[in-house]
Amino acid sequence: MHAQLKSLCFGLAASSLLAATAAQAQATTVLYNERVVEIGQTLPDANDLWVKPEDLTRINDFEFKPEGACYEALCVPVLQDRDSDMYVTRGGQGWFNVTGLADKLQQAYVVDHDDGVWSFGTMPVKRQSFIRGGMAPDFELNDREGNPVRLSDFRGKKVLLLTWASW
Amino acid sequence: MPVWQVIYDELKAKDENFEIISVAQDTGGEDAAGPIFDAADVTYTSLIDVNHLISSLYNLVNVPSGVWIDEEGRIARINEGTYAQEHFNGAFGTNEYVPIVRDWVKKGAESQYVWDTSKVRESIVDRTPEAEKAQPAFLLGSYYFQRDNEAKAEQYWTLAQQLDPTSWNYLRQDLLYEEGGSAGPAWQQRVEEVEAAGGAYYAPLEIEDGAN
Repeated sequence: MHAQLKSLCFGLAASSLLAATAAQAQATTVLYNERVVEIGQTLPDANDLWVKPEDLTRINDFEFKPEGACYEALCVPVLQDRDSDMYVTRGGQGWFNVTGLADKLQQAYVVDHDDGVWSFGTMPVKRQSFIRGGMAPDFELNDREGNPVRLSDFRGKKVLLLTWASW
Repeated sequence: MPVWQVIYDELKAKDENFEIISVAQDTGGEDAAGPIFDAADVTYTSLIDVNHLISSLYNLVNVPSGVWIDEEGRIARINEGTYAQEHFNGAFGTNEYVPIVRDWVKKGAESQYVWDTSKVRESIVDRTPEAEKAQPAFLLGSYYFQRDNEAKAEQYWTLAQQLDPTSWNYLRQDLLYEEGGSAGPAWQQRVEEVEAAGGAYYAPLEIEDGAN
């Protein structure tokens, strides 16, 4: 009885502590290629970016699944029954370490801590067929009318891709 | 650019499956690059890439640069300073590139100017882990630039140049907003330093003998 009460009190204390820290969490902006993703809540951490699992897909197309963080055929295993450097549970809410995933995948990133803006480079796993096999990386950019143009739209054609600049 | 339009019209008439995708590496966006596309009346695909995404994806460090991509998405040539013609009596540019493009459009994989996979792989610029960080640093600088935060734009664009000193694009895009401009003394000094060290401003155009 005593033990139950104690644990209940502890649970309450822990969750109110979490509520306090969550309230301190600044809004975070994540940049990835052409995306600017606003994240409402992150877990406060001086070094890493922790987001709710459902926000992961908005950031980089990875999906949080029972087997881990997955993109197409690639799955990075993530323990979910206890805390790890990739995933923690606080007050029943799971948090995924986006920068931990980036480190595992050797994806570069730069952060402005003052404003909470995290900028991620292209994932090397998406560049292997380019670096190793000389395949043209696909891209998506809007044309001048705002319509998305993908290189893959041009499959079956010879494409001369030219870069230039006005400066 | 008007020259590329003439070449596009010529080659498109010969082969309906030929396309040009022209991508401006311009943080200034539509205001900076749009009028140049308009003045040339381009009918090929024209894109304005404020974050220099294409240069970063294809490991390109200068403009203009050209990449040949075949029907299956394989790269057939990459990382060449691709002017359509000589300018100012040969001060820059080349008349040698367009004939090999013509040959490729005519002969496809049989063209002698198509590189094999190992040559393509050799020609893709290597990046150090530091240089890999230059892309997100530049992207962060552009994010601030587009939000009129000049101090932070400068901070992260400078970081990008430090992380990847081989990128002329990062250097010159930043210099555009400084006294002297993108082709001023700071740029000239860098060109001289690189050339004195045996480097080149443009990756050399390697056109094999026997051009038709």
